[in-house]
Amino acid sequence: MSTDTLQRAPLRRITADGNWRSFVPVIVLIVFVAIISAIEPTFIGAPSLKVLIDESLPILILALGQMPVLLVASIDLSSAALASLGTIILAHSLQSFGPGGLLAVLVLTTLAGALNGFLVAVAQVPSFIVTLGALGLWQAAALIWSNAQTVPISTGYEYIGWLVDQQLAGLTVGVWACVVLVILMSLFLYLTNAGQALYAVGLNERATLLTGMAARRTKILAFAISGLSAGLASILLAAKQYSAAPGLADSLLLPCIAAAIIGGCAITGGVGNPLGVLFGALILTVLRVGTTVAGVNPNAQQIIYGFTIIVAVALTIDRRRFSYIK
Amino acid sequence: MTNVASPPATGAPHVQVTAKRRRSAAPGSQLGPPIALVVLFVAFSIAADGFLTVGNLQTLLDQAAIPLIVAMGLTLVILTGSIDLSVEGVMAGCCLTFTLLGLNSQNGLDLGYWAIPIAVAVGTAFGFFAGWVHVTFKLPSFMVTLGTWSIGLGLATVLYGSDTPKMLDERLLGLTAGTILGIPKSLIIAAIVVALAWAVSRYTRLGRYAYGIGGDEAVTALSGVNVSRYKIGVFAFAGTCFGIAGVLGATRLGVGDVAVGQGYLFLGISAVVLGGTLLSGGRGGMLQSLIGVAILVVLGNGLILIGASVYWQKGIQAAVIIVAVTLTGWSSRRRLRVIK
Amino acid sequence: MTQNTLTSHQPLIELREVNKTFGAVAALSNVSMEIRPHEVVGLIGENGAGKSTLLKIMSGVYQPDTGAVLRDSKEAKLGSPRIAAQHGIGIVHQEQSLVPTLTVAENILLGNEKSSVKMGLMRWSSMRSKARKFLERVGLDVDPMALTEALSFAQRQMVEIAKALAVIEDSGVAPVIILDEPTSVLEAKDIAVLEAEVSNLKKLGSVIFISHRLDEVLRMSDRVYVMRGGQIVAERKASEADEEELYRLMIGRETSSTYYQEDRRVPYQATKPMIEVNGLSVRGQFNDVSFAAHAGEALSIVGVTGSGREELVRALFGSEPCHQGSISLRGKQTTFRSPRHAVAQGIGYIPAERKAEGMVAGLSVEKNLVLATPKVVTKFGVIDPRARTKLAEKWIRDLSVRPQDPKADLGRFSGGNQQKIVLGKWLLSENQDVLILDHPTRGLDPGAKEDVFRIVRDQCEAGKAVIILPDTLEEALGLSHNILVMRDGKITGRYTCDGENPPTQTELLGKMVAGHVD
Repeated sequence: MSTDTLQRAPLRRITADGNWRSFVPVIVLIVFVAIISAIEPTFIGAPSLKVLIDESLPILILALGQMPVLLVASIDLSSAALASLGTIILAHSLQSFGPGGLLAVLVLTTLAGALNGFLVAVAQVPSFIVTLGALGLWQAAALIWSNAQTVPISTGYEYIGWLVDQQLAGLTVGVWACVVLVILMSLFLYLTNAGQALYAVGLNERATLLTGMAARRTKILAFAISGLSAGLASILLAAKQYSAAPGLADSLLLPCIAAAIIGGCAITGGVGNPLGVLFGALILTVLRVGTTVAGVNPNAQQIIYGFTIIVAVALTIDRRRFSYIK
Repeated sequence: MTNVASPPATGAPHVQVTAKRRRSAAPGSQLGPPIALVVLFVAFSIAADGFLTVGNLQTLLDQAAIPLIVAMGLTLVILTGSIDLSVEGVMAGCCLTFTLLGLNSQNGLDLGYWAIPIAVAVGTAFGFFAGWVHVTFKLPSFMVTLGTWSIGLGLATVLYGSDTPKMLDERLLGLTAGTILGIPKSLIIAAIVVALAWAVSRYTRLGRYAYGIGGDEAVTALSGVNVSRYKIGVFAFAGTCFGIAGVLGATRLGVGDVAVGQGYLFLGISAVVLGGTLLSGGRGGMLQSLIGVAILVVLGNGLILIGASVYWQKGIQAAVIIVAVTLTGWSSRRRLRVIK
Repeated sequence: MTQNTLTSHQPLIELREVNKTFGAVAALSNVSMEIRPHEVVGLIGENGAGKSTLLKIMSGVYQPDTGAVLRDSKEAKLGSPRIAAQHGIGIVHQEQSLVPTLTVAENILLGNEKSSVKMGLMRWSSMRSKARKFLERVGLDVDPMALTEALSFAQRQMVEIAKALAVIEDSGVAPVIILDEPTSVLEAKDIAVLEAEVSNLKKLGSVIFISHRLDEVLRMSDRVYVMRGGQIVAERKASEADEEELYRLMIGRETSSTYYQEDRRVPYQATKPMIEVNGLSVRGQFNDVSFAAHAGEALSIVGVTGSGREELVRALFGSEPCHQGSISLRGKQTTFRSPRHAVAQGIGYIPAERKAEGMVAGLSVEKNLVLATPKVVTKFGVIDPRARTKLAEKWIRDLSVRPQDPKADLGRFSGGNQQKIVLGKWLLSENQDVLILDHPTRGLDPGAKEDVFRIVRDQCEAGKAVIILPDTLEEALGLSHNILVMRDGKITGRYTCDGENPPTQTELLGKMVAGHVD
């Protein structure tokens, strides 16, 4: 009955845990880049690619934050608005606390995210409503605090400027920081119990509750990470723009959700990985920059984003899981 | 309060019931909103200078017109348990369409009154598309309408081009300017929409099945109702309402503005939720949303008069949404309940 | 509805040698029966005997593989519930199928409003009078415009019957109404109302009545069919039948098997109980339940649907708050604020719904295995994937799980192997002293069942208290030291399987379904 040599099924291993989805983003990216390079060959040159990568960073950071939320089959509609608010908080806190201002922003945005998570997990309010409300709150807060004006960051800029000023091997420090983020996220998801819990809760929250897992706490953690990512994105955005403004990051909401979904995170939860999200962010940026390069009316971007997100969700949703979709 | 006239002739015992003749009202919130409205009204009459003047009251009514129309569309969708986030996008798309179809500064078209039904039909088409995608691909409604929101804004941006298109047709511009018997024309239009929406919710299958789908979709489907068809219908209805709102916005502004719908999503949802329609569906109604709109418009108007920054409004509306949904759902919490 | 010229011999519905198979399971074998005009037919049998499949064939949800269904002596293809309705067959389900937020009239006419709709607009006066007509027919005196949720459960049930009548209204033939377990949630006074309702319906057409309460079935029916293992095993006139005989027919030959490893049933220490329950109640589910389970004891709780046993064990796992009574674990009084809290204190629960609640499909075997004990494979908060795999390999060997791949998706495995990992999850923990197994062998093949029983024996030997909700009485008798019988939320019998007088299946069934309580 029991043997020492165990039979393994290598093919099954690839299809376990939704691994096949990881290949899709790479393929899509290559296809897009190929098409656009065919239309405009300079697209694939080094300077153009550098710009592309720099442009994709804010979306990447927000998408990395959206990923844990998607893993637990929820959504965070407020992260972009929180990032906008974050830039304004940063402008003021850098002035008042110097480098401590960075920490202040991160703590506040993480707490904001955790609050969302609390309402979803404990008050049992659907996440799209909680985060829709939060979206409005952060937008209002940003407008009120900044008086609807752009806030230039002069004092204290040196604490964040290095992200865009300094270079390392031809790429800005910001790029490398994001690479580190992707690595950290991967380590967290695969090598910690809290990270693994995100997958379990997303696949079957009920079963995890009955196993005695801290499922509610896991959800709060997911939203807290999203909040943290909003804070990190706000730092990068402020560095790039040399200023803070209400609504600075608002238009990144759809792209960051699309990036995460194209990167393999189904909104039904339980699947996704940071590397895929990285490719998803690149794809979204290629879509944006590339369509302009290829001669598409830049005003049509929002139409493209809208269709992209619908198509992306349609292709990745796991229909077996929910019987009555509302 | 209720009895049937004669006892049945079959000899079976009759079981009498004096159930109250309540229509589909959210439990416990029947009287709350109207009272809140009265209280707010009185409070601002006292506290805010210039609140109770004829001019301000007319402004109030005018300010309520678009939110009312938007709320009617949202209510029907929310009654089924779904949501429609595309308000601002559809309004923008229809506003630009309408502006460019009538006599305008950008192109040579001059369709006169025909611009109205065509522009509204664009709204209907948006809603129809969203509903169709939702039921065919089984995608959550918030996701689909997030997408159509963006598509609508994109359409508007493309139509806008590089220069603000201005409406030049006096007849169209005059549709909502001024008052009739002291009531702003815009509100009269809104009132007609409200009346029609109420009639739909009460006297058509679209309306009644919306309540059924929201109350228990499985049972409604098992009873032979084509749930998919009616779900598409409620989104098309909402799109139509948003289209009317977009046209109204255009005539008010006199130009095609991509931001014509800004702020109406939050105002609409918070009004519906405040009025007593549950997000989970099945309970509430058009008249309740009417009260919700009234409360928020009075609140907004009064706040400005007492000097509060206009940005506070959105924050309050957002807070209203969160608080209202949390409170009404609090008693449904369970240890093993899974909400995503 | 017109009264056709009904010959009193011509059956309204007849089933001739109907067979229905699902995969390898024969749900119905060669079933022949008939429903005559103006009669009430009772249908009884254990869970899994085929009653539900029979109903679904009669109401058009399923179609027979072979054999025929005849309506008024003419063959009828009941391809869907709508077609069955056109043939005058209506069904009132066990779970209420009314929309609580709609009015009574809307519910009665839901899906059938066409005749009340003119030019796209619904005429409420027409709906009201139509609804009133059906309400009168069932004898319910209620404002058709009342909100359905304002009615009591019994009233809503009558609205359901009214709805069933409305659905078959246009068929023009005598109605046949199927009532699926209509009394499971009713109180005594409501049952009298239902009885009157049934005799009322009898005047209009015929009724098929399914219930596990033999006394009620005999009281309300004219004839009774007994089902077992997908077949009709007996037909009796209700006036001539006696409950004892019916029980025996329901169970058939009393069997026993060795695969429960009864020889391994070792007596346990009956000193201090591991878990003790006193006067426990959850409103609407069970009332005043008291019992104890000791280390090394296998305790089964048996009962039919609505007995409250499933809710009882879920309360023992912290899924719901108890409004009365106390629980003591290892001699100390405690409460369970949540499943997490219960687990932390040492309770392990294997749910009946394996796919929905027991395991996480999509995760690998090894990840499922450590769900309850994640710290086992971590060092300083970091997971050691190789240690996790090695641990999984060991348990796969010990539990004989096939295929032996720790990284394969557990959702792809057979039910038996899934269940072993679900069990294994709790065995990993040294902390769980009480194991609750809810229908642990449901859907398992005999080999897998044997493995599960072996694990149960092992755990008893290891000193755990094991509480089981078995699928069959045979299982209860084979596995347990003691058996509790529940009915309608109360304990109606306590039996010991060791000793000279173990209970028979008939005895147990009697306490599960009979009206009298000791």
